Amino acid sequence: MKRILQIFLFSGLMLAGINLNAQSQADMCINEYLVINTSDFEDDFGQHNGWIELFNSSYGTVNIGGCYLTNDPGNLTKYIIPKGDVLTKIKPRQHILFWADNQPFRGTFHINFSLQESDEILFVASDGKTIIDRIKVRRDLDSNVSYGRLDDGIGTRDGSEGWQIMQRTSPSTNNTGVDKESASVIFKRVDPFGGIMAFTAMSVVFLALILLYIVFKYIGKYNIKKSRERTEQVHGKEVADKEEENSAEIYAAISTAMHLYSMDSESHDIENTILTIARVTKNYSPWSSKIYTLRESPKRK
Amino acid sequence: MENKGVFSLLLDNLTQFLQYTGFANATWGHILMIAIGLVFIYLAIKKDWEPLLLVPIGFGIIIGNIPLFPGLSVGVYEEGSVLNILYQGVQQGWYPPLIFLGIGAMTDFSALISNPKLLLIGAAAQLGIFGAYAIALLLGFSASEAGAIGIIGGADGPTAIFLSSRLAPDLMGAIAVSAYSYMALVPVIQPPVMRLFTTNKERLIRMKPPRAVSQTEKKIFPIVGFLMTAFIVPSGLPLLGMLFFGNLLKESGVTRRLAETARGPLIDVITILIGVTVGCSTQADKFLQVKSVYIFALGALSFVIATAGGVLFVKLINIFLKDGNKINPLIGNAGVSAVPDSARVSNLIGLEYDKTNYLLMHAMGPNVAGVIGSAVAAGILLGFLS
Repeated sequence: MKRILQIFLFSGLMLAGINLNAQSQADMCINEYLVINTSDFEDDFGQHNGWIELFNSSYGTVNIGGCYLTNDPGNLTKYIIPKGDVLTKIKPRQHILFWADNQPFRGTFHINFSLQESDEILFVASDGKTIIDRIKVRRDLDSNVSYGRLDDGIGTRDGSEGWQIMQRTSPSTNNTGVDKESASVIFKRVDPFGGIMAFTAMSVVFLALILLYIVFKYIGKYNIKKSRERTEQVHGKEVADKEEENSAEIYAAISTAMHLYSMDSESHDIENTILTIARVTKNYSPWSSKIYTLRESPKRK
Repeated sequence: MENKGVFSLLLDNLTQFLQYTGFANATWGHILMIAIGLVFIYLAIKKDWEPLLLVPIGFGIIIGNIPLFPGLSVGVYEEGSVLNILYQGVQQGWYPPLIFLGIGAMTDFSALISNPKLLLIGAAAQLGIFGAYAIALLLGFSASEAGAIGIIGGADGPTAIFLSSRLAPDLMGAIAVSAYSYMALVPVIQPPVMRLFTTNKERLIRMKPPRAVSQTEKKIFPIVGFLMTAFIVPSGLPLLGMLFFGNLLKESGVTRRLAETARGPLIDVITILIGVTVGCSTQADKFLQVKSVYIFALGALSFVIATAGGVLFVKLINIFLKDGNKINPLIGNAGVSAVPDSARVSNLIGLEYDKTNYLLMHAMGPNVAGVIGSAVAAGILLGFLS
């Protein structure tokens, strides 16, 4: 029974591991796309083509090798992103661009369909079944105008919320965050004298330590009560009353006195030139057990 | 003819060799920094001021300021050099949490557990951080830089390094040296502030002896303490996690070997590495700037504000406490987390006024609370400003 439980536990952990891998691929999302490219950025072959930008919304590197891109919900494995290409390992909070030029022989990042003939873009996990992200392709977009998430990685899948027609295309870079002020700049502008920061931060520090204070106040009270009950049970009420009066200082004084006594007197057992024999306990261990190391003795029938 | 050729070659080589020597590349900045390093070593050996920190930092300053011919791949800022590799622990911020692991494994929180209201003093003393932050803003530092400078007031070297490596890596050398220097100067900075804000009567307050704390309470403390603080300030996770984990190793009673390693060899190794590399990072061209002077001035000021904050807070809560339960305000300074120096200062000043009033154990409460408080404050600054 125990062994079965162990197998179940091990299998569970293995499955959790697989699930974790899938979860990290699930951190990828379709972030922006351009359908008609006539004069926007060129690809590495000097051609103008539509593109799809994916974004790693997590804070860990995600390998998308083996995942799929498709424009056909009936054929989820239309374009497999090749495995073994180091460029398919997407760094945290970074983008990757796929040229939708229907010319996959041009390399990893050229897929086998174009967006002008697509109604939808789907990004599929490496199992070929799980749809990680999908977005409808808008037909009303002008040439060289892309459609993307307002903030990288944020927004609904159907494009109803958090998406917008981009004022300028931003392949392989942040959609709108490039010119954003850093938190430090905002703080200096909003709170030039540091008063808000001081008040907020001190409040949080106090809050954390007040909570600890409250918890340990009651843990202490409970502990004192329990200790008194135990002493009362064993030694009676009088001893318990007396014990309560004893402070940590008394115990410290007793301990110090005992320590000094044992240092001064010759009664201690660690002395130069005297061999002290301590009893060695042999605890059971499967590593030293004879049951596991010896063959079973043959039985005579 | 041939002889002349050999002589010329020898002369060329010697000239080239001279160009590589420290003498040819020395500047007044290098000489000044080496002198500062020597002063640190002198203070540590002769005056016994934080020798475990000042000897490695002082010698590190000397190492880092040996004038170098650039491109030899030996300087701390030259990628791939030995010193640069060791410096990564500071730059990437993974030495400080390891130091915190050791601190956790050597800290006894029982003074705090027996009288948990002392935790609040540890919170009040963090005022130094935010006081220095506000003044740094007024002096023209950016909010990130001001946050990194302010943390000097937490009187916690590892925390200062951790935060400055995240918020203001360019100022890290000056901030780290300033934090460690002022930690060594706690016995000089704090007493005048403590005397200024207390009356003779207050200094004579005798506190109730702490109760004995059970082992179960000590075991619960790191777990509950971690959960509560980390849930409130997750950005302080590396420091808080390691601090409380180290303490659990100590108190669990079943991981003695791990606790001994954490508070012994591990913390010693990291202290050596952090001290030497922080010292090395103070190369004259990076360190000798007007900003460094400001950082040192703000560091001193933050210690003063933190000490005053702790002492005045004790006076404030004394108003609400009954006679017999009052707290001696001389332990307010211990809210800064320079463990155990600031607690020792409380005890010494207390003994000056009453030869039998030992405040050390009482002061250890706010002192270790200060460690938690400064880690929480660092987490908040990191969360807000990064």
